[in-house]
Amino acid sequence: MKRSALTAALLAPLVIFALLPLAVLVVRGLRSPDAWGLLVDPATFAALRGTTITSAGAAAIAFGLGLPLGLLLGRTDLPWSRAWRALFALPAAVPPFIFAMGWQLLANPRTGLLNTALHLHVDIYSSTGIAFVLGLSALPLVLLPTLASLEQVDAAWEEAARLAGAGPWRTLRDVALPLALPAAGSGAALAFLSSASAFGVPYLLGVTASPPIPTLTTRIWAQVLLGAHGLDQAGALALWLLGLSTLVLALAQRLGKRGRVSLASGKGARRTRLPLGPSRVAVSATTGLVAFVLVVLPLLVVVVASLQKNFGTFDAFTTAHWARLSHDTRTLGAFGQSALLALGTGVIVTGAGLALAWARSRLGQPFGAVAWLAAWPYAIPGTVLALGLILAFSLDTRVVLFDSVALVLALMNTSWLLLVAFSVRHLALGLRAARDGLERVDRSLAEAARLSGANRLRAFLDGTLPQLRGPLVAGFTLAVLASLTELTMATLLLPPGTDLLGTLLFELMSYADPAGAAVLACAVVAVVLLGQAAIAAAAPRKVAS
Amino acid sequence: MAAVTLEAVHKSYGKNHIVRGVSLTVADGSFLSLLGPSGCGKTTTLRMIAGLERLDSGRIAIGGGEVDGPAAHVPPERRGLGMVFQSYAVWPHRTVAENVAYPLERQGLNRSERDARIREALAQVRLEAFADRQPHALSGGQLQRVALARALVGRPKVLLLDEPLSNLDAALKEELRAEIAALRARLGTTMIAVTHDQAEALALADQVAVMRAGVLEQVATPQALYAEPNSPFVAGFVGGANVLDGEVRGGAFVLGGVRLELPTAVGDGPCTLVLRPEDAVLEPTGTLPLAARLFLGATTEYRLQLGDVALRVLGPPHPFAQPGTTVGLTLRAARVFPRELR
Repeated sequence: MKRSALTAALLAPLVIFALLPLAVLVVRGLRSPDAWGLLVDPATFAALRGTTITSAGAAAIAFGLGLPLGLLLGRTDLPWSRAWRALFALPAAVPPFIFAMGWQLLANPRTGLLNTALHLHVDIYSSTGIAFVLGLSALPLVLLPTLASLEQVDAAWEEAARLAGAGPWRTLRDVALPLALPAAGSGAALAFLSSASAFGVPYLLGVTASPPIPTLTTRIWAQVLLGAHGLDQAGALALWLLGLSTLVLALAQRLGKRGRVSLASGKGARRTRLPLGPSRVAVSATTGLVAFVLVVLPLLVVVVASLQKNFGTFDAFTTAHWARLSHDTRTLGAFGQSALLALGTGVIVTGAGLALAWARSRLGQPFGAVAWLAAWPYAIPGTVLALGLILAFSLDTRVVLFDSVALVLALMNTSWLLLVAFSVRHLALGLRAARDGLERVDRSLAEAARLSGANRLRAFLDGTLPQLRGPLVAGFTLAVLASLTELTMATLLLPPGTDLLGTLLFELMSYADPAGAAVLACAVVAVVLLGQAAIAAAAPRKVAS
Repeated sequence: MAAVTLEAVHKSYGKNHIVRGVSLTVADGSFLSLLGPSGCGKTTTLRMIAGLERLDSGRIAIGGGEVDGPAAHVPPERRGLGMVFQSYAVWPHRTVAENVAYPLERQGLNRSERDARIREALAQVRLEAFADRQPHALSGGQLQRVALARALVGRPKVLLLDEPLSNLDAALKEELRAEIAALRARLGTTMIAVTHDQAEALALADQVAVMRAGVLEQVATPQALYAEPNSPFVAGFVGGANVLDGEVRGGAFVLGGVRLELPTAVGDGPCTLVLRPEDAVLEPTGTLPLAARLFLGATTEYRLQLGDVALRVLGPPHPFAQPGTTVGLTLRAARVFPRELR
């Protein structure tokens, strides 16, 4: 009975805030008067086509760049491989629409720097442009799993191939590559998923393109803006988006499972890295150039643009925009509101994640379903989750208990709904951090506290929790950063008259004040870098055993 | 100080019966070693005594009071025990002194009482100089001593040791074995240790309980266990004896066409012969092929071939016994058991 009470307490919020919105979305989408007509509407198909093409392109770019880079950084004697790794992982932390902003400055067909200064003819306002920016942002999704799986490959497997007569490059091709391929493929599927879920990039680069490139997320946003009578159309689009992402997610998980290689031995034999030989200098220079152009340049150009008198020109430096924004009440208000929401989300996500992970380790298998329930809102597109929340909570939902207590869930158009949305969405980050941490903590640390006279809770607090500091700080920081820069759900759920960092940046960028947007973008990147530094600093110390 | 009693203790995980009816008494102030191969249930037994696992049926009493049984389950923190974990479980976020202080904090002692007791406990394990060190700056042997000090500082009724020496190298093992024996002589605490290492069990314990597949095979003093094993399993596990399935015919053990004269009279029939390597003497003449000869320092090990079974014999370095030749064998002592179903 104690166990079922605990399960219910953990389950109830998940059911109400994670499962119910999805159920409402699906039921409403399928039962609306003209459900079928909306699902096969030509405009719907155009958006589906746009999303599929740009996302497939992004996945191809991430795969085509991530796999060779993974082999290069993970298996050759390329110098500074750790620095390159950190640099190429950066796009995972910086919101994609900031990169889109950089590429707007670089590759606008008329005023872009690449076109005016280098006389190229590139147009970022195109399907290819969208796929390119999304693909670069999704590069870490392929690169990091590839590197991780290469690290797991037992050095002895490669040594065995060498002794069987294979040269170093042959070994790379015959042993390391096949073992890394499923991880890279799974990463590419996730790159497709994240691209299909993206809103900022296709909006900035697709809506103003001629002809415009419709995608599911941008069309849903436009329909929600229309108000109540756009919701049916939005629901139909969201069903397609949900179906597409579920399919791709299943594919990613299948590939990911196949890619899981078990470490054959704990012996950390020093791996011999493939010598690049005389081409080492040339390969290093190329890697540096690629990293600079793909990661550094788009951010650098945003920094420079924030210091220009006229946005998009590069002649007169001024700090006027920084000075102006630092006194702007709207900007400061957005910062404050975002910080509050993000910190609240971080606290909720870390606490709930810890509770769920602890319950999972104590209650065992039956609880796996709950853990799954907590993880999927992070996997499906934020647009779908946000629309589900709108549909579920725009009605004045009243739950009447004992005939007298009426629980009114009038969350729509309040910041509370944003807090709910961000917390549900990012719960997976807190759960994963807590679970990974708990799995690594030696059980006997808590048992030793029990034997020393501590009760169960006390033993957890004194023996286990201190070991979780690193993972919990990491999970908290990731959730805060993700909430701070969230755009997709914020644009749909923002109460009127409120600003968040992401939505304000977006508004300034697309209409009124691109220079101000550049200043905000710089601030966001600075916060992201600080957060990453905090995670690195809290990483667990090595303990001799 | 307290005696520990187990009565018909059962524990299973699903269909997996880990401990099957263990009854055992550890006298007040004595040292019991639970010895057995991995997976025999010895660690689960120890964890049930600690209260870290609930038993399915049976009773456990510590110092006369029932701590586990149909009526009661006393949680581990209220059993008044100390335990040294196999992984030591020294908390990495606390210094050595803070680790040792913890049981006293839980007992609600004030700071001055605590400091005196911590100093005393660290002195017992010769770690006074390390009080303010962080655990990650300590070696395995030092961590082991911290764990020991932490387990003893609260003056437990019983000290539990889970594979206390298994993670240490040979020299440290010797040193800590001596230290545990000395501590025990000084404190007189009841101790229960789990080990898979027979040398460790024989050297430390007053009583050794040999476990196999969840059941106690034999409980005896180390000397009795060595001299009078009550099953081929115990003999094989404790003395490293040769365990051979064969047949007795006319006063001799017959296996693979080879006859070995037995030193004592035994009736005919299928049997299991238990022969310690040091209880046989090589003779220059005979028909047994000598497969290998290994120089071990103090003695020499010979491997003889009995049909397709190998036999280990220890002895002085006989010049005549060279691999490839044949030798004879005289048994000075041997034990014959009815054939075991295996």
